[in-house]
Amino acid sequence: MPPRKRPLEPSSGMPAQPDVKPVISPPPKSAPAPVPAPAPVPAPGPEILPASILNNLPGPEREVYKRIYEAGNKGMWSQDIRYTMKLAAPTLTKLTRALVQRGILKEVTDVRHRGKKVFMDARIEPSPEITGGTWYHNGQLDTDAVAAVRRRCLDQIDRLGAATPDMVHKGVEREDPRAGYSIDQIRDILQTMALDRVLEECRSTGEGEFSAVRAGRVCYRRGGAPQGGMIEGIPCGVCPRIDECSPDGVISPPTCVYYKKWLQMDF
Amino acid sequence: MVSQHGILLATGLISDHFGPLVAKVCDCLLRQGALQLQEIVRRLNLPPGQVKNSLLVLIQHNCVQAFSSPSPRGDRTMTLYLTIFNNVLHRLRFSKFISVIRADIPESEALIEGLLQNGRLTFDQLVGRTISKVPEGTIRPAREEIRMNFNRLVSARYVERCPKAEPHFNPQEDEQSTTARKRAPKTAEEVLSLEQKVVNTATLSDPERFSEIPYSMEDASKTNDRPHNVVAGAKRKHGAFEVDEELNSTIAENEVLWRVNFEKFIFCLKKKFCADRKKPKLKVGTHPIWESFFEANLTDKDTNSVTSSIGGILEKLGQKEGGAAMSIGQIQPVLEDLQCTTSTGEEFTFDLHKMIEACRNEEIESLVKKKYGQEAFTIFRLLVTQGCAVETDQIIDTTILDKQIVHSTLYKLWNDGYIDTEKIASAAGTGYAQFFVWRAKNTFREQFVDNLYHAALNLRQMVNYIAELLLEGSKDETKLRNRKNILILALTRHDDSLLLFCDF
Repeated sequence: MPPRKRPLEPSSGMPAQPDVKPVISPPPKSAPAPVPAPAPVPAPGPEILPASILNNLPGPEREVYKRIYEAGNKGMWSQDIRYTMKLAAPTLTKLTRALVQRGILKEVTDVRHRGKKVFMDARIEPSPEITGGTWYHNGQLDTDAVAAVRRRCLDQIDRLGAATPDMVHKGVEREDPRAGYSIDQIRDILQTMALDRVLEECRSTGEGEFSAVRAGRVCYRRGGAPQGGMIEGIPCGVCPRIDECSPDGVISPPTCVYYKKWLQMDF
Repeated sequence: MVSQHGILLATGLISDHFGPLVAKVCDCLLRQGALQLQEIVRRLNLPPGQVKNSLLVLIQHNCVQAFSSPSPRGDRTMTLYLTIFNNVLHRLRFSKFISVIRADIPESEALIEGLLQNGRLTFDQLVGRTISKVPEGTIRPAREEIRMNFNRLVSARYVERCPKAEPHFNPQEDEQSTTARKRAPKTAEEVLSLEQKVVNTATLSDPERFSEIPYSMEDASKTNDRPHNVVAGAKRKHGAFEVDEELNSTIAENEVLWRVNFEKFIFCLKKKFCADRKKPKLKVGTHPIWESFFEANLTDKDTNSVTSSIGGILEKLGQKEGGAAMSIGQIQPVLEDLQCTTSTGEEFTFDLHKMIEACRNEEIESLVKKKYGQEAFTIFRLLVTQGCAVETDQIIDTTILDKQIVHSTLYKLWNDGYIDTEKIASAAGTGYAQFFVWRAKNTFREQFVDNLYHAALNLRQMVNYIAELLLEGSKDETKLRNRKNILILALTRHDDSLLLFCDF
């Protein structure tokens, strides 16, 4: 996929508002800079726990916490902790459980390896690599959220006729300011809808239905009724056994059950 | 090379139309390529007379082209026979060709029918046939009238003079010239099959191919029954020029063989297909413009585009309901929106080739959707539009689909040969041992076409099976007849897919 381009207009002074699923929480000091894509951040915002708290922890727990803290927003797999610290599995379980109970660590689900136990500093937001990005919730694709955005985008396209991702984004924001979708999210959704042929990607001519869009800009409009499917009208078109069918074979048109059903040859 | 099921379909068609013996010869030629008469006799183990007659039938119906070529030792010339696969398949669509003529030049329908039924005929034979077909009690058409209708077909290029009977073609020489050309700067040259090359060699030049039967005054006075010969004309006193013209006319009528020009018919069907396909997408009020654009098609510059002048479009539009009031200013944006291009604003061109490509993709994608579901459709479209290998995680990210669904769908598509996969060892430090990249397979279209042939073959077999049942007469006849009609209709519609993928 080519790197995403930012919209031509400067974004309004609003910082990236909390999304459906928050991306990595930006460091508090940083200004709302338009980051093209969430790059992996090696050192996340919060600093290591103050010594007062750390000193209260028992030695091994402190060590485990430090290692996990160093892993940052990618977290650390329990097996990796075991190997690096040469701990027995039950010991590690005991230590991590204690830390989770204290609210110092948290367990997160890695979207790619759902079986893996990954631990992370409780104050750090897991990276999109771990969470799967904005459309994932607890390691599962949030299909309802995706469907909701698709519906909203489609409403906007229906209202506007042909629209750029920016126009759709603004429209969605105006209708529900609390939803807080980012422009990139809207763009991703519009792209998948174009892949599904629900929408059609086209270049504006600046006239007619494109009168609201500057000429030459990429915009989306309704894709129209799907066409094709000429071969699907006959049984052979979607036959699962077509490779085993031959004119004089065991499976052949005169012996075919699909043909019999299609032609209702039961007389 | 024609696919396995394509050969079976072609042989089945020939067998239905001309019997099993001719079908055997056709099958042998389709499988082996160009062969000599003796070679066919040897392979089929049939009497030479029968093979020769079968070849004559096939040549008469434009399914086989003969050509002479030097023998491998180079000491003599041999005659080789080659099947023209597309022409065999065109036998499926004769009804469509007739409907094209019915819409364009209805008075010439009987002539086209005669040529389709008989393959190649002289004008004289065609006249005889047309007159004999006229039902009793109605007025017999005059020879002059038939000639006028015939010339109309020739000038519209629906009918052509038959190609050379036995052109000289040396495959080895041709290959050498191709390799010599390869050294020259590369150009986008289409790779032609032997079949296409032989056909191109045999084809006459355009002026020869479509030269009409010359008109001479005497013929107007002739009756239909009177024998038509050179002597009759020569008896009269004429200048040398007139005699020459008359002679030409006689030759054109009695000796020149004519046949249907399939190319033109396919182009007409292609235009119709594209025009119809776009109709559901047209906005309200733009239908007449779109229709007028196709009707005003200037000349057949090439078979991949339609070009119409703005004047022609306006003229055609004027004849339509609600079209007379439209101005150039209204038409232009509509045509541009329909992807018609223009350089001067005077002529508009629509790229048929581009649309046909898009339609082919739509058909394959639609099948993927029906067979494997919406997710597979999205993934497959992504791979086709990207045109390069895409990594699994990238597919998941771009399509916003569940990981497990993507994995299982990719596996299904790969298993059925729609996509290819490649394992790529990962660089150290990424945390993964390997990546999988996926791409749409180049051969999926060939496979799809083979399936189309297979489906057509099955429909034909089913039609024949029901015909046999009808002959036995044991079952409910009306029901069987209805089923047969359904199947024939389905085959005609299925043929549109074959046309789309193989002929357009």
